[in-house]
Amino acid sequence: MTEPDDPAVFAYFHDGHVDRDNIAHYRGLMRSRLLVNRCNECGHWIYPHRPLCPECLSFSVEPAEVSGLGRLYMWTLIHQSRDPDKPLATPLLAAAIELVEQPGLRYLSRVVGCPPERLRHDMPVQLTWIEEEGRRWPAFTPLDMG
Amino acid sequence: MARNPLRDKVAIVGIGSTRYGRDLGRSELALGLEAAVAAIRDAGISPGEVDGICGTGMTPLAMGGAGFLSLQGALGIERCTWGKNGWLGSALVFTVEAVFSGLCDMALLVQANVRGANMSRSAARDPYRARAARYADVGGDVGLGDFAKRWIHSGEPYAAIMRRYMHDFGVGKNAFAMMAVNCRTQGTANPEAILRHPLSLADYEASRTIWDPMQIADMDVPCDCAEALVITTAERARDLRRKPVYVHAMSLGGTRIGEYYENFAGWRDNSFQVAHRGLWERSELSLADIDLFYPYDGYTMDAVAITEAAGYCGIGEATDLFRSSWDASRNLLMLDGRVPVMTGGGGLSHGRAGGANLYAEAARQLRGDLGERQVPGASAALISIGSFFHDPSAVVLRA
Repeated sequence: MTEPDDPAVFAYFHDGHVDRDNIAHYRGLMRSRLLVNRCNECGHWIYPHRPLCPECLSFSVEPAEVSGLGRLYMWTLIHQSRDPDKPLATPLLAAAIELVEQPGLRYLSRVVGCPPERLRHDMPVQLTWIEEEGRRWPAFTPLDMG
Repeated sequence: MARNPLRDKVAIVGIGSTRYGRDLGRSELALGLEAAVAAIRDAGISPGEVDGICGTGMTPLAMGGAGFLSLQGALGIERCTWGKNGWLGSALVFTVEAVFSGLCDMALLVQANVRGANMSRSAARDPYRARAARYADVGGDVGLGDFAKRWIHSGEPYAAIMRRYMHDFGVGKNAFAMMAVNCRTQGTANPEAILRHPLSLADYEASRTIWDPMQIADMDVPCDCAEALVITTAERARDLRRKPVYVHAMSLGGTRIGEYYENFAGWRDNSFQVAHRGLWERSELSLADIDLFYPYDGYTMDAVAITEAAGYCGIGEATDLFRSSWDASRNLLMLDGRVPVMTGGGGLSHGRAGGANLYAEAARQLRGDLGERQVPGASAALISIGSFFHDPSAVVLRA
């Protein structure tokens, strides 16, 4: 599968803030790969997608694929939508996933395959992909310990 | 003669510039960072020595470019006691006044400009410039097309943080409940309060869940309102008819977390903590001198964390503090048995004013003309307004 070009990324993510510092991340999402910027000099992971390594001030920053393993750092179950025209049929879960690559490296996502009452702080999760209104998005599911 | 007390008191010690080009193919943030790093290196300092940032833009928040929050986050500067955006000539003036006033000692001024989509036909065809223009200088709910950006300047993470607080410190919702009930009790004495009827602890428990575990009783009351203050020099104030209220000390507080709230840095390194450390380093009065306390209550989670950051108790210890400070006969908090919390009712009762009503209420109390709800003899107030992530102030006002 060839890499989508810039116009394809802009078209696919027509409703998001695509810029030069994050377009590689969005290109990755189109191919079901979760990419996060990483410093070529010292290996530090940089998220949100910024062009500078805060550890060593290197601008040599490149998107790299993460393992998809992490832990559930914190979450909320959204019962009420801000938009009165779009009420939520079921509560919406928003979860900050701390990726194993680095302490404090978190990605905001969904947790699927687990009822809300069984969520626990710091429970291990792994990356999966969900379909939403015709687009694929990253999500996380409890890590299969078997 | 106009006053010029800052004559020769502030200097430029580092300079950094990027290349100039019609299309450098870089984001506004990337350009700002390049100049910032060059200036920091030119000055021979480390980024950690920077404690104030003036970013680019005319709005106080910092989305979509080289605003101060994005710069601080991208540079990994752990703490700043001053931050602001500016543009044109004002940016240097803001920065000099911040240094002169003592709000910061090593300020970084960054002004980044890109050829806007509205400035030429070729720029209008560039999808990067078009997209940047669409999202420039806005905060909250930005880029909702991408769920991962949902918590940029959002309230929802405060609910997640609230749950994490209860988990980390092994407590229930008692502290949040007591803060909510206290503010509603205080509001009963304020004829302007939107919610003037009291709330009981049982009412709190029964209130509707909005963002689990956050309930509607944890959230301030949206309303239409305005507050204004006139501020002048102490010298001039002596000639005016009203008793002056002095700004004794103040600090802002920013961290490297910036505007992506899922990256919450924890209980020790958030903006409330930075602002209060900055305040107490500058204030001759200490907590023992404070008679009135106004912890911003946009969410009860804010007010609880601010109480801890102010130093009334250790981090995670608000539940015990509030229990020992609770006047059950009146449903009120009295810290150390004598300091009322949020006279006037704050955001949870009086209404959502972005904290401006806290400044106004504190100033009126210190003037001593609040009639029925006047706290007798109050001579110093601590007012702390803002969020875990941006724009927290910690201010001591005194009579």
